[in-house]
This record gives sequence, structure tokens and C-alpha cells, in this order.
Amino acid sequence: MIEVQHLTKRYGPLTAVDDVSFRVEKGEILGFLGPNGAGKTTTMRVLTGYMPATEGRAVVAGFDLFTHPIEAKRRIGYLPETPPLYPDMTVREYLAFVARIKTPGLSAADRVMRVAHVMKRARTDDVADRHCGKLSKGYRQRVGLAQALIHDPEVLILDEPTAGLDPKQIIETRDLIRSLAGDHTIVLSTHILPEVAQTCQRVVIINKGRVVAVDTPDNLTHQLEGAATLYVLVEGGEAAEALGSVPGIQHVSTMERHGTAVAYEIEAEPHRDVRRDVARAIVDRGWGLLELRPLRLSLEEIFLQLTTEESEGASANAGPPPQPVLPAEPGAAGVPGA
Amino acid sequence: MRNSLLNINAVAVKELRSYFASPTAWVMMGLFAFLFGYFFVTYLQFFVMQSTQAQFGGAPPAMNINMQMVRPLLGNASVIILFLLPMVTMRTYSEEKRSGTIELLLTSPLTDFEIIMGKFLGAVALYAALLAVTMAYMAFLFVYGDPEWLPLVSGYLGLLLLGSCFISLGLFISSTTKNQMVAGAATFVLALLLWIVDWMAEGSGPTTASVLRYLSITGHFDDFGKGVIDTKHVVYYVSFISFGLFLTLKSVDSERWRG
Repeated sequence: MIEVQHLTKRYGPLTAVDDVSFRVEKGEILGFLGPNGAGKTTTMRVLTGYMPATEGRAVVAGFDLFTHPIEAKRRIGYLPETPPLYPDMTVREYLAFVARIKTPGLSAADRVMRVAHVMKRARTDDVADRHCGKLSKGYRQRVGLAQALIHDPEVLILDEPTAGLDPKQIIETRDLIRSLAGDHTIVLSTHILPEVAQTCQRVVIINKGRVVAVDTPDNLTHQLEGAATLYVLVEGGEAAEALGSVPGIQHVSTMERHGTAVAYEIEAEPHRDVRRDVARAIVDRGWGLLELRPLRLSLEEIFLQLTTEESEGASANAGPPPQPVLPAEPGAAGVPGA
Repeated sequence: MRNSLLNINAVAVKELRSYFASPTAWVMMGLFAFLFGYFFVTYLQFFVMQSTQAQFGGAPPAMNINMQMVRPLLGNASVIILFLLPMVTMRTYSEEKRSGTIELLLTSPLTDFEIIMGKFLGAVALYAALLAVTMAYMAFLFVYGDPEWLPLVSGYLGLLLLGSCFISLGLFISSTTKNQMVAGAATFVLALLLWIVDWMAEGSGPTTASVLRYLSITGHFDDFGKGVIDTKHVVYYVSFISFGLFLTLKSVDSERWRG
């Protein structure tokens, strides 16, 4: 549905996007992840035909954006970083105008129906007759989303769709986006990692204009794990030695004390499941096993790792084993990356 | 083709709407009507005074309401629009660039030409509405006098063409900057320069003088006021407008490349 090949965009001497290639299949949600200034917006602007690429090409729904911009743009709905609203129009007027320019020749009755439909979909009914300039940030974002949906486009490109929303609105917006997948192919950019884990089927991580990884959020987490690391919380005794004697365990370190319990971090040989043996070693000694779980890298850590790596173009597989320092909970807090 | 016209119409209607939704259009109309009214009353008083003198004095001079009242009045209107139109055009592109709405237009299935024509025609429509207000004054002349209506029509046509030139110039300048004030000021200065460019003609050689006179935007207006529609002048105005729109097209396109 979307194909980007060797896309490069330079602004004078500055290279904003450098040889970026990726594909998005029909009905998929692709997350575009990167720190601020990584080239997300630039890539999206090329994808929507706002600006041409310096090199490379972008094909959306079978139409090259450079050679057939109008055909391609008919099939794209775009929510820019700042929703492009005209402050002196009411929401209804604004959406009617967008409907007019996105699908010329739509009958007035159809237009009214489309406007009513997207207002319902994006939950902007209650502000239909308010001026766009008077809307709160949350509503502005929703009207922006409604605007992107008005011509029922095959492809939706959303630049930070949840930026500036409150937590409830964020959840609603994500639900809406998820419900749109299937009928629409969606590319969304964000620098908020849990968002990607929760909404996207695939992730493109971009840093300094280059793609550093393309995969599913799960695979990214798995692949970067390297050596399996376990977190164990034991009550009753000094377990470090006992744990160290379990076959397959390479390293044990004591992390912290919780009252009578002690937390350990265990590094096992890669691809060897030592959980059963660890549990037995503790229970056999009569201690209490309060917690035993794998320490997985959160997307945040993967992201930081990928984007702070010095070696350029390091693929997801080639990264060194991670050194997690804290129990990680994937998708916990909305910590903005970098 | 049909789609293209629909697109141009959609953009033009949107522009016109936004003029009337903001105070812009109303303030312009008020100012224009006020200044035009002031000139109207002044010329009328002068004309009436002259006619009265003609009745009492010896040989009556040839009194002609078209030549002595309508023509200078329209000439003054052209000065007013020199000041007003930059205020109309300064926002056309600058405002959309500043607020980011340009992203909506440029990612919609519209060609640059359609956007520019829409914006141009929207501004021209507002300008035509300004001129329409002044027709109310002219109506008085028909009620109490007997002016010829053809020179009046040609005068208004001249004003419309002259104003459209300023609009196309203003559109181009607005497309080059995010800053409305800069756009407005630059448009005004350039328009003024085109206005007075023939002042230089006096001291220059015959070829330069004729070139400068030809460039002068007011030189071409004069005949319209007299009731003469000369192709030469129409060609000048239409070329000027086309050139302005062409430059806008180029400016928008180059902006796209530079990002």
C-alpha cells in the first residue's frame, strides 16, 4: 500500500532523511518512532506530497507521489503535527470545506453525510458549531483527525496524533486509530514508546534521518534480550550462592533488599530456560520464592539503545546484549524518549 | 476541467468567507466607503459650485458630470485601493504558512494553480464587493443628474483591472514570506513604485521615458476614466496579472522544494 525506496531529503547542507526505505501492507498500522528531529515529520511530508524528496521515491496506493501527486493525494488522509484548522470557521464549515477540496464533485447531500459521519467518528459532534479557533487542544486534535478521515482515504498518515492530549483522550484516540486499521492503512509517528507497543503492528525506528530498526514491537523486545535475565525475589536466606550453583547460570548479583526479602538478578546462558531449576533450588532450601520473572527490555530501553549507538546502521540483531538495571515493565510510563 | 473549476471555486469561496468572517472585509468596506464618500461630497460640492457660477457668470463653460466629477472621483478611488489592497493580500499566503493550514492545501488533491487562482479570485471578489459599495454613491448621480453610464462602466472596469494587478502582486509577495506585515509593506511599496515610476520619465532619454511611461500602472488607467477601453491598456493589465500569478506559482513551487 505504501512503498518508500531510498528516500533522501536534504535542506541545503542538512540531510534530514537519509536513504530511508520501508513498506506498509494494506490494513497495517505502522509506527514511526524516533526522537524529536529524527526526520519523522519530513518523511511524512514527503509521503503526503507536501514536499518532494531529494532522492528516492514514495509510492502510495500504487501512485508515485512525484509523478502522480493528485491521484496519490486523493487516497491519503493526513493529520499534520499541528492540526491545520482555520480559526474563523466552525467545525462543520471547516469539514465541509475539506470535503470539497478532497473530493470535488461530491453532492451537497453526500457532503453533509460525510461531515456528520466523521464528526461522529472523531467525537466532535458537540463542538460542531463552535469556531475552530476557540477549541481546546484535545478537540483541535480530534477535528484534525476528522479532517483526515473525511474522504475515507485508503491511507492515513498521522503525525503525533496523541500529542498534547490528556490520558483519557489518548486512550480514546488510540482506540479510534486501532478501529480504523483494516479498512485503512495507517502510518503514525510518535516519540512516545508505549503508544507504539499498544497500537502498532510494526515499528520503524528512525534516528538522525536513518532507519535503525524495522520489526514488530514484540520481536524488537525479544531480539534485543540477548542473554536471558531473570529477576528473583527470595525471602529467608542469602540465596546468592545457591543460585550461582544452578546449572546454566552465568552470573548472580544482589540488587536490593525489601525488608526480609532480597532481590537478585540472574543472567542465564542464552536460550536456556533455567526458571524451573531456580525455583527448585530455592524451595528445596525452605526459603520463600516471592517473585520470579524474566527481565525484558521495555521499548524505551531498546529505543535508547538503538538511538544512542554510535555505530551507524546497526541492525536490531547486531546490538550488544543489554544491561538492564531496573525491572522493566513494557509499556509502563509514558516517558518521552531522548 | 470540471474538477479544476470546482477546486478553484472551493478555495475562492473559502477565502471570501474568511475575509467576511474576520473584521478584514468589514473594516475595508467601512474605510473605503468613508473615503470614497468624502471625495464624492467634495467633488460634488465643487461641481455644483461651478455650475452655479456658470449660470450667473457670462459664457458658461462646458459642464460635464462625467469628465468633471466621475473621472477624478474614480482616479481618487484608485489611490485608495493602493493603500487598501495590500492589507487584503498580505494574509493570503503568509497567514496559511504561519498557522500551518498551508499543509492542508498542499496535501489535498489540488494543483498549485488551482490554489493560486482560488486565492486570487477570492481577493478579487472581495475587491469587487468594495467597488460595489461605491456604486450606491454613483446611483445618486443618476437620480439627480444625467451622467453617461458608459464611461462609468469603463471606469469601473479599469478600477477592477488595476486592483487585480495589485492583488496578483500582493499574492506573489505574500507567498514569499510568513510575515504578514512584511508582505503588506512590501506590496504597498512596490505598488507605489509602479504608480510613480513615470515621474522619472521627465529627465530621461526618449526610449527610457517611453518604457517608464508604459510601465506606469496609472498611465494605463486614465483612458478607462474617459470612457475609452483601449486594447493596449487591457493587454497591459492582463499581462501584469498573469505575470504576478506566474511568479506566485514559481514561488510556491520553489518553497515546496526548499521545504
